[in-house]
Amino acid sequence: MHKLSRILIVYVLLAVVACGQVTEDSEVVLSDDASQSGEVASGSVMLNEDKGDIVSSSEASIASLVDSPSGGAFRRLWADPPTLDPHLTSDTTSAGIVVEVFSGLVALDTDLNLVPDIAEGWSIDGNTYTFNLRDNVKFHNGRQVKAEDFKWSIERAADPVTASPVADTYLNDIVGAMEYIRGEADSISGIKVIDDLTLQITVDAPKAYFLAKMTYPTAYVVDRNVVEAGGRNWWVGDPIGTGPFKLDEYRIGERIILLRNDDYYREPPTVARIDMNLAGGQAMAMYENDEIDITGVSLFDLERVLDPEEPLNQELVVAPPGFTVSYIGFNTKKEINGLENPLSDRKFRQALNHAVDKELIAKEVLSDLVQPAYGILPPRFPGYNPDVSGLRFDPELAVKLVGESGYPDYLKDIQPGTTYYDLAQELLASNPNTGSGTPRIVITVPGTGGTVGLDLDVIIEMWRQTLGIVVEIDQAEWATYLEDLDRKKFQAFAGLGWSADYPDPQDFLDILFHSESSINHNGYSNPEVDSILEAARIEQDPVARVQMYHVAENMILEDAAWVPLWFTGDRYALVKSYVKGYKLTPMIVPKLSQIRIE
Amino acid sequence: MFKYAIRRLLWLPVLMTVASLFVFTLGTYGPGDPVIVMMGARYNPETADRMRKELGLDRPFHVQYSEYMWNFVRGDFGESLRFRGQPVRDIILPKMWVSAQLALVATAIVVVLALPLGFYIAHRQGRWDDPTIVAIAVILGAIPIMVTVPSLLWFFCRYVKWIPCSGWGGIFDLRIVVPVISMGVFQIAGLLRLMRASTLDVMGQDFVRTARAKGLSIFQVDRIHVLRNALIPVVTVMAFSLAGLIGGSFITETIMGIPGIGRFVVESVFNRDYPVIMAVTLIGAAAFGLSTLLADIAYAMIDPRIRYDSESNLN
Repeated sequence: MHKLSRILIVYVLLAVVACGQVTEDSEVVLSDDASQSGEVASGSVMLNEDKGDIVSSSEASIASLVDSPSGGAFRRLWADPPTLDPHLTSDTTSAGIVVEVFSGLVALDTDLNLVPDIAEGWSIDGNTYTFNLRDNVKFHNGRQVKAEDFKWSIERAADPVTASPVADTYLNDIVGAMEYIRGEADSISGIKVIDDLTLQITVDAPKAYFLAKMTYPTAYVVDRNVVEAGGRNWWVGDPIGTGPFKLDEYRIGERIILLRNDDYYREPPTVARIDMNLAGGQAMAMYENDEIDITGVSLFDLERVLDPEEPLNQELVVAPPGFTVSYIGFNTKKEINGLENPLSDRKFRQALNHAVDKELIAKEVLSDLVQPAYGILPPRFPGYNPDVSGLRFDPELAVKLVGESGYPDYLKDIQPGTTYYDLAQELLASNPNTGSGTPRIVITVPGTGGTVGLDLDVIIEMWRQTLGIVVEIDQAEWATYLEDLDRKKFQAFAGLGWSADYPDPQDFLDILFHSESSINHNGYSNPEVDSILEAARIEQDPVARVQMYHVAENMILEDAAWVPLWFTGDRYALVKSYVKGYKLTPMIVPKLSQIRIE
Repeated sequence: MFKYAIRRLLWLPVLMTVASLFVFTLGTYGPGDPVIVMMGARYNPETADRMRKELGLDRPFHVQYSEYMWNFVRGDFGESLRFRGQPVRDIILPKMWVSAQLALVATAIVVVLALPLGFYIAHRQGRWDDPTIVAIAVILGAIPIMVTVPSLLWFFCRYVKWIPCSGWGGIFDLRIVVPVISMGVFQIAGLLRLMRASTLDVMGQDFVRTARAKGLSIFQVDRIHVLRNALIPVVTVMAFSLAGLIGGSFITETIMGIPGIGRFVVESVFNRDYPVIMAVTLIGAAAFGLSTLLADIAYAMIDPRIRYDSESNLN
């Protein structure tokens, strides 16, 4: 009995202590935040669609800025990066930090131009690139970067022991790289150190996109001594890079702090530190509460923020759409999982395309946060074709195409004067679930919890109303979804976006639609398209090369392997007025060094 | 009692083995593959095979399992697959500690509010305040946490502006207020009703009536007889709930930006980060086993009628 009372007393004391503390502190904070405008806010969700992963980007606050040195601090939400090892980086969350802490031979500027980075210049002789390194590049520990470091770093990235998920994607053009990646060679024969500041890389064919690939962290330089001493998570204890910022602190689920690298070989940043909150939270509320300096604007807050009367409107930044396209993919194989696949019929796929009114959905459902996509390459992306026609909304043509397709046998019985729609409605009424015995069409989306996205709901309804075709939705949890996607097991799939990792049309068209690409999830195969894509890889005349991609893109669109949906990305963002020089870019590029806090 | 506790403790490794085998089997043979998740949209089979080999995921089930368990016993929880190369131990222990602190404070508040209130309204049975308080508690408890947290957040952070909107700074930091109210104040209904029912139960017993008949004042009866006996089932329930301390709260942690284990485990499952899932399962199983043992022991200690060891078990 007595023990019991003691337990109780302990509990009570604990609670009292906690409560007492609460009241004491609240007054202090009250004065801090007294200047805010009050309004309810909902969290925004940022789609990191490069790997299709949906990252809820709403992160915790670091209570207060620890003393800011001159230059100020830039505070933002971020998510836990799976890695900060440049050679293992394959996602935008990691890359967004890695490109600021590490660097490579070449880089992209905020206008996505290829610019010299550690290499101050280069010459191209056929298949051979000769890079001249700057002589003032130092690792964060003070050691000078030499050509030998690049050779070691790229070989380390390709080493099977490193187990990089993307080494073959970014390095496979280098002569001897694939042999090395497969463990069949002792070094990459195509990389030669000429002298301390000269590096020569030979590629297997004059590939126009090679330099663009070299801007990805896989080709970044790391300090051999640090990596060899630090083990597999060397970057946690000793993250030595060459970039404009140094990683000062990383606490999983809490925060990442970057500090300015005053010895940076290009112009050092003016902002002294970057605080990244990793713990989650309601982005909009935190922004309005001055806990972060930038946030995306979600659908829920859009109306309020767009109101010119609203003070926040002054801080609104409108960005061009990102280099991400979302789409519904159609499997084009005759049979899937042993079942007949009506989507193998080209005309049927075209019909489904023509039946979707994307303008209407973008405007009414998605509040113009996205731009309807008729082509595959996003606007302003290299190779983008402003004249791409695509398969536009045309319900009559859609109905006609379904009639010409081999899809429903019952179409053959349409009597003159009966519209297909009416007949379809009758058939649907008799058997609402299956569309009267026609083969099933199932679209699989990733995720849990039954929410599939408003746009897809509307599209399916458009198909039903215009064509009388019933499409079912199946939802698979993320890891299962990816596995089945890679096995090409889906009849149709949605909920995915593709975003570029380097600005070259090859990164969209070739790797998504070449019949031999491992991530051609559609099973799409058109020999003519294949041969154009292969020729475009090594076409030296940039204009002719873009033309080739235009032709390939049009053929793919005509084959209707996809219903391209939206060019997405953070259309609207709020940036505090004292933050200058922050540029919203459609891809991850180094850009934090240009920020000024005034 | 001592022998009983030892016997129960000896069962603990068995419980943990069964739980871990179950999770490991699901992980190996269930759908989803950590390497595919890692590669995301840029999958290719050749690279995937190479990575599986490098990460040791291509070895037979029993080899992987026994190696994991052997390391676990020695305190090495393996390396995360999602956070490549990082020791699971370093990742999850701080997160579990955060969740445990939060749950402890919330539980303390539940206890402080629910026990006296429950005891009080039991004495007011049939009057207006009994049903009123029970109704309020049940209504509060019925509001989903995804409603309470944002509403509280709006009030404290955006309306009166007393506290920052998110984050975590330990139990003496203001930002604990919203999660603790939603996980504490709003969740008193269960314990309140238990306390009320058990008080009423004791108050109806003969010995209470006898005590009153002897001429003891109502306060003496309450203190000596009613309260002590009414707390017996309550303490048992609370000991059970200790296991939940390290589980974390997915929703609260996510909305409030608290670096706890709840959200982290859910994300680990989506990413098929098996070393993390295994470690959390094993620690959770151990916590569950220990807290049920604690509940049983507490029960025996406060209720003299319960004996676990002797053959002369009453009742």
